[in-house]
Amino acid sequence: MTIRVLIVEDDKEIRKLIHASLRVEGFEVDTATSISEASAMLLHALPDLLLLDLGLPDGDGEQLVRLLRTQHNLPILIISARHQELQKIRLLDAGADDFLVKPFSVPELLARMRVALRHRGTRLAAAITSYTHLDLQVDLAKHTVTLRGQLLHLTPTEFNLLARLVRSAGNLVTHRQLLKDVWGPEYIEHTHYLRLYMAQLRAKIEDHPAEPRYLLTETGVGYRLAMAEEV
Amino acid sequence: MTMIFKTLFRQLYGRWDAMRAWCILLALLSLATLLSTLLSAYVSFTSQAMLFVLVVAIAAYQLDRLQSIVGAVVSVLLLNFFFVPPTWTFHVEQSEHLIALGTMLVVALVINQLTTRLKQETALAHLNEQRARQLQELAIRLASTDTTAAIRALGQAAFERAFHGRSFLVLADDGTRLDTRRDLSTQQIDGLRCCMKEMQLLGAGSLRWGDLEDWYVPLGRAGQNRGAVLIQKVAAKDEDGREHAKALCSLLTQAFERLQLNLNWQSAQNEAQKQQLQSTFLSAISHDLRTPLAVMVGAASALQSQRDKLAPDQQDRLLNNIIAEANYLTNVTENTLQLVRLTHAENSLRRDWESIEEIVGAVLARIKQANTESRIQASLAQDLPLLRLDPILIAQLLSNLIDNALKYSDGMVELEVRVLHKTPLALLQVEVQDRGPGIPEAEHDSIFVAYSRLAQHDQSNQRSAGLGLAVCHAIAKAHGGDLVVHNRAQGGSCFLLTLPIPNAPAFAAEISETSELSEQAATIP
Repeated sequence: MTIRVLIVEDDKEIRKLIHASLRVEGFEVDTATSISEASAMLLHALPDLLLLDLGLPDGDGEQLVRLLRTQHNLPILIISARHQELQKIRLLDAGADDFLVKPFSVPELLARMRVALRHRGTRLAAAITSYTHLDLQVDLAKHTVTLRGQLLHLTPTEFNLLARLVRSAGNLVTHRQLLKDVWGPEYIEHTHYLRLYMAQLRAKIEDHPAEPRYLLTETGVGYRLAMAEEV
Repeated sequence: MTMIFKTLFRQLYGRWDAMRAWCILLALLSLATLLSTLLSAYVSFTSQAMLFVLVVAIAAYQLDRLQSIVGAVVSVLLLNFFFVPPTWTFHVEQSEHLIALGTMLVVALVINQLTTRLKQETALAHLNEQRARQLQELAIRLASTDTTAAIRALGQAAFERAFHGRSFLVLADDGTRLDTRRDLSTQQIDGLRCCMKEMQLLGAGSLRWGDLEDWYVPLGRAGQNRGAVLIQKVAAKDEDGREHAKALCSLLTQAFERLQLNLNWQSAQNEAQKQQLQSTFLSAISHDLRTPLAVMVGAASALQSQRDKLAPDQQDRLLNNIIAEANYLTNVTENTLQLVRLTHAENSLRRDWESIEEIVGAVLARIKQANTESRIQASLAQDLPLLRLDPILIAQLLSNLIDNALKYSDGMVELEVRVLHKTPLALLQVEVQDRGPGIPEAEHDSIFVAYSRLAQHDQSNQRSAGLGLAVCHAIAKAHGGDLVVHNRAQGGSCFLLTLPIPNAPAFAAEISETSELSEQAATIP
């Protein structure tokens, strides 16, 4: 079965480039240049993956993400220019899956697309309740964390934080999402809680906290729990 | 109510003052008469006359003019009445006594005249000295002001102090608002307008509007009127006062002009800086952007027209060139935009509580992805404090420093993060050290200036617009920190980033005890 991709991008050259690269890889590709055009096409037929540029002539990609997320579960990859971190975070919170910063290379785009599609597959299957990567094992059902076979003692907050990341293993989870899910909605602005507990967690789990192998930092955006086939 | 009391008090006090003077005069005269009577048996008339001359001199010096003249006349009469034979009459028999009395009257009046003038001159000298000191003080204080409002306030205060009536300092910029001022009469508003228009002193004692009770003193010079001062209730013949008012105005004018010059100078400076930036931009574009573009166009056109003739490895090399140059262009564009944003947009930082350990970790992870050889040795102090940073910018700064160190040296690159405890505030220091050729002492400042590398001969074969370090420096400065470089003792350079450590945020430990997970997971030692 071919995978259908919709590219929403107003720049002609980039659109053509992505179009050509994806066609070569065997994707079935449609293109749209504005939110209105994309909305019309989405009504007609739903693609398997959406590639969305942020600055579009008739508005912001954000509107489209919010609109889509109310009804559909398809993976959304954001293409953004640099220095749109705030917007990127908002979009991730709104339900986008990942983002790519322009300029990006074609292999990187393909890798991100593979990850997004894979995540979608696993999410549709069953919720992640256990995690194994390198020397670390987490079992959410049994509430155990073991490192090289040794049981680790985590405080409740540390465990909750790790559990939240395990449930989205491999995915980027924003600061706001973590603060909201682990501490509660009123703690969304208290980034320092997150920093301190992340440091504690790293001290217990990582061999070299400054060079983490499990708890990866996406600077300025959030955290990602590493997965075996991670790009 | 208080006003009424004050005037009443002042009148009473004034009257009491006069009464006191009269009493003193009476006492002096009585004393002289008594003394002369007591001594009449022993001394001659001349000595008695001398006593009265003494009284006249004291009265002239201590009392008002009226009292001292009365004192002089009464003294002569008393002397005549009590001590000139025939005594107890105003009749004078001997011509000798007549001459003495006449002379005494004249002497008394002359003394009176002299002391009065002396007193006036003393008072005037005192006033002039006060005014000179005021001018001096005002000049000193004006020298350190840098706003129109401050000059205006100083001027207003100076006029209030120098003249007892109320003064109003009006600036030319307020011209339109003059009409709405309720505290001025129509005539005063007209006076101020006219004064500003003609740039001439108007009012009491001057050539124009001389019958008014006020002065209108212009501020500024011909062709450049800056305002006017209204001084109420002045004496028409107070020449010195008028001169003082003019002197104050001329000081204020100078201050305004100095301010204007400063502003002009600053805007000229800004303009020059802008042009400098533009020209460096232009030269950067002409050199730094054209070269990679030329390489890209050359490689791409070769691939387009000669692909069949090129061996596969040649084709690969051309493609690699295109990608490398495009990446370089991306870098230059990003850095230029970053620099413009950092230096021109205020508060463009998005600060949050960040862990430097995390940022360093992310940076190292990115760099290790690109070059697999592990040449970076990182050592971070334990328990580093959280900082309020823009994580993206700090990550960029560290990336740039480490990339540079890797690029310019072949040995190990050392990264060290530590806290420097200094009063009053602690600092976070990040050091990036290499064993490369180092940076010449003379360039330790200029390497942080955008495009400065263009002017210098770059001996290494690395192409660089010198933007990276300028961006790093701008980022450090935007965070209230600093970035400097020095050479290491055994060769190589050391870049030192310093960031201020803020007070730690409020923190409640372990707050999610209510979670249903806690019961089973709470295996806290």
